[in-house]
Amino acid sequence: MGTLTLDGLVKRYGPSTAVERVDLEVRQGELVSLLGPSGCGKTTTLRMVAGFIEPTAGRILIGGRDVTRAPAYARDTGMVFQSYALFPHMSVAENVGFGLEMRKVGRAERESRVMEALRLVRLDHLAARLPRELSGGQQQRVALARALVVNPAVFLLDEPLSNLDAKLRAEVRLEIRQLQQRLGLTTLFVTHDQDEALAMSDRLVVLAAGKVQQVGSAEDLYERPANAFVAGFVGRCNVLAGALEGPGRFRLEAGAVLPCGPDETGVPSHAARLVALRPERIAIAAGERGEGLPARITAVTYLGAETEYHADLGGTTLLVIRPTPPHGDPLRRLAVEDRVTLQWDPAAARLIAGEAS
Amino acid sequence: MPAATLVVPACLLVTALLVGPMVYLGRISLNHYDASSMMTEALTLENYVRAVADPYYRGVMATTLTMALVCTTTTLILGFPVAYWIARMQSSWKSLVTVMTLMPLLVGNVVRVAGWVGLLGNQGFVNAGLQGVGLIDEPIRILYTPFAVALGTVAVVLPYMILTLASVIEAIPRNVEEAAANLGAPPATVFSRVVWPLALPGVAAGCTLVFILCMNTFATAVLLGGSQFKMMAPAVYDQFSKGSNWPFGAALAFILLIATLTLTVLGSVLIARRSRRRVAA
Repeated sequence: MGTLTLDGLVKRYGPSTAVERVDLEVRQGELVSLLGPSGCGKTTTLRMVAGFIEPTAGRILIGGRDVTRAPAYARDTGMVFQSYALFPHMSVAENVGFGLEMRKVGRAERESRVMEALRLVRLDHLAARLPRELSGGQQQRVALARALVVNPAVFLLDEPLSNLDAKLRAEVRLEIRQLQQRLGLTTLFVTHDQDEALAMSDRLVVLAAGKVQQVGSAEDLYERPANAFVAGFVGRCNVLAGALEGPGRFRLEAGAVLPCGPDETGVPSHAARLVALRPERIAIAAGERGEGLPARITAVTYLGAETEYHADLGGTTLLVIRPTPPHGDPLRRLAVEDRVTLQWDPAAARLIAGEAS
Repeated sequence: MPAATLVVPACLLVTALLVGPMVYLGRISLNHYDASSMMTEALTLENYVRAVADPYYRGVMATTLTMALVCTTTTLILGFPVAYWIARMQSSWKSLVTVMTLMPLLVGNVVRVAGWVGLLGNQGFVNAGLQGVGLIDEPIRILYTPFAVALGTVAVVLPYMILTLASVIEAIPRNVEEAAANLGAPPATVFSRVVWPLALPGVAAGCTLVFILCMNTFATAVLLGGSQFKMMAPAVYDQFSKGSNWPFGAALAFILLIATLTLTVLGSVLIARRSRRRVAA
């Protein structure tokens, strides 16, 4: 058990940089996700922690001990691989017992701890089976038990759910989170799936092109994205380019002026800015009203519980997501070319420094 | 015409060129030899009895078996690291290295052995070199020793071992080794507990192939072993060409064949049982 500290971690392959100065502290018992698109450096970072890739620069500390140059087998991490990586020639019990055997745990204790770990993942009845005789979900749970049974100082999860089908994924996700919390495991979790990351993590690290974009809770990232990448990557978002016209007034490049929140970007007032506006924070009303901004519907997509609208606002298209209105509501009959009025709390339109990408 | 008929020509060819001569050879081995008429029709085991009873041919058989076992083991030990290295290669050099592994097979057997003769002889490159740097005064005898035969044989069969092993090692997922390391296994343990057991089918295939090749060594044995050194395949040839004793030569050939088959099958069964037991445990 312990904390995991990444101190200025860098990995370069020739001229290209896979990971650029990652600083991170995962506290005891905390689950931190590394979230980003493929090629963002999240897996490279995890593999550096496991000891499979040697960092170009920086340090890795597990429980305060510098393990940067330690071989993988001497690091005391427990890793769950995307493809499970079970030993195909060993039974489930032998797989789970392997780490204990390496730690010279006596036979009797080993057997009882293996069964305990298998009970934890509800697979004790399959201890004698071979991995290939199990389903994908069961193999995944064996991999979990194998990593957990040794009580690793740091628990590493490399996209552990991406080989499971959607229904199983939600189940196993909850199971992993509950186990992690119950056992108080310090965990680093790599995923490209933002739902997974938002649902499971205490904190998230958003990575893009090897750089940390933002570190924070799910709420921080969703409500207060630090830049356009985070706004666009975590959840859906209207990210619009323009400039600040006055306090609370944001002029879009196409001309429309939107109400926006206070300017906390810290860049000069004339500099280019973006506004990030979540689609579900926009209220929509049929017809043109006095208050709010007049717009024209260009697409309506019924998705059951929700309905998505594309609204043209003086040449700029905004995505609006609302709970599907009940029958009889005038909004229910909204169609393309209809006039509507859009409105939102100005604070919901968050100003971000930067230019349109 | 069903596609299956396309295999008919190959089957006929195998029957005509392999099974036919074998049956004929088997029949001859039961004939009686006499010096005047060379061979008379008979159904006798006298040739086999003589081959097994004669200490000279028992010696030839022992030499052949020892040589084949030593060469197979050496080839496995030398070949495994190379095969592993090739199997785990990521870069575009991989195909080049694979072709380089095959290079020895591009040179004819006799040509290569002639090269060894030049290299290992008393006036050869090795002795000249050793004398040149003053390590030895008199040339040491390398050529026409069992060591020279083993060296030559291993050089011929190594590519077969490497390529057979590499294809099996390649199929072992890299992350299975990583998982073992992650669970605390140092490299030697990763090898003995994960890589080796998973590579066993390849080890069995490679050793079988190489053992058969070694048992039947001919040119290497004759040219590098010299006149005092005798293995089974040249002994068979001697009977057919010099002795003109076809029945005895055929019997020797069958003894070589049966010994090779028995040991190969035995080895495969042992390895298969071993990997099954691991799996069943």
